Amino acid sequence: MGNVERCDKTLPSNEMIYRVRRDPALRARFLTDLEGLARDFGLSRAEYEAVRDKDPRRMMDLGIHQYYVPQILRLFFGAAHNSNASAALECYQRAFPEETAKAMALQARLERGR
Amino acid sequence: MAEIVAAMAMTHSPGLTGWFTRASQDYQQQALQATAEMRRRLVAARPDVVVMFSNDHLLNWPINNVPEYTVGIADEHVGPADWFDEWLAMEQYRVPGHSAIARWLVNEGARRGLALAYLREMQYDDGISVPTHYLNPDAQFKLVPVTMNCTVPPIPTPERAYHVGTLMRELLRAYPGNERVAVVATGGLSHEPGGPRYFWVDEEFDRWFLDLLKRGDHAALLRECTLERLEEAGSGGTAELLAWVLVLAFTRGPADVLAYMPAVAWRSGTGMVVWNEMAR
Repeated sequence: MGNVERCDKTLPSNEMIYRVRRDPALRARFLTDLEGLARDFGLSRAEYEAVRDKDPRRMMDLGIHQYYVPQILRLFFGAAHNSNASAALECYQRAFPEETAKAMALQARLERGR
Repeated sequence: MAEIVAAMAMTHSPGLTGWFTRASQDYQQQALQATAEMRRRLVAARPDVVVMFSNDHLLNWPINNVPEYTVGIADEHVGPADWFDEWLAMEQYRVPGHSAIARWLVNEGARRGLALAYLREMQYDDGISVPTHYLNPDAQFKLVPVTMNCTVPPIPTPERAYHVGTLMRELLRAYPGNERVAVVATGGLSHEPGGPRYFWVDEEFDRWFLDLLKRGDHAALLRECTLERLEEAGSGGTAELLAWVLVLAFTRGPADVLAYMPAVAWRSGTGMVVWNEMAR
């Protein structure tokens, strides 16, 4: 089965992101005190570091649900008018160079062909 | 007895409102023409209420307790949710609900063995907001939103979605009122939100799936389009097409594919479909 099967439904990070993105006060704290927030939600050190380092591969290896990974990047980079497109793309290029390069080549080919 | 008067489906990718102009002029024009045609046909069908089948992107329910289906039972629906407004580049919208039909689905569904969760105040991300922007911009049709789970394992199968669609059709038609009801599926086509293939679109899968809809052979679609095939074409995202499979159960015969764009820029295979004939 697919990549979503790798998520750990019981991982504290998944509960934390659900709460944080619904709550402006927690969103602010995510930026100013991520370590304290992670401690309050019971994240492991490895979870905290993967989130802090904005590393999609490590986040998913630990069991963070894939849908929450770009949400975490948006918490860091902002969301207005897709302003995180290049920053998020860079994180994915570092974490999944092969898959991301393939996607970018497809986009280039499709845009040339039309 | 309520009457089903229209059935259609469209992609709800946030790029369709949030960063529309990042895609080519050609794609922008195709998307605008296809959604305008959907709206023209929706208006012509004169529905009193639109039942919109979408999916919850881990917004309304925490991951420890994700229902298979959830009905929004409010008298009025307000979106987009805080946190999604900037992402979708949308102003706040308000659409009247049809709480009597929504509550009927929940209660009569229970009597018929279908467990539907409900929310009095549902939050709206791209799943409901983007189609509402294109199909019901003046809030002239009442809305009953139904969201499903297609991303937290276990993901329901296409057979299950089709079965639930059959039950939903029977439930709506048994409603003790004479409302005219349109059903709209939102989501898909191929994409893998947040996964390793986040920026990928599977054009071959998308065209194959749309051809199955054009053929209109439901048994063949359910035989060939397995959950494994959906997941191969983009984990946790392509399975949004379960909403399309659910709505398929309201229809008969071939679908009109109004547009298809393998829009990597919008991060989703993007398509618009209308069915001409409703199931009896």
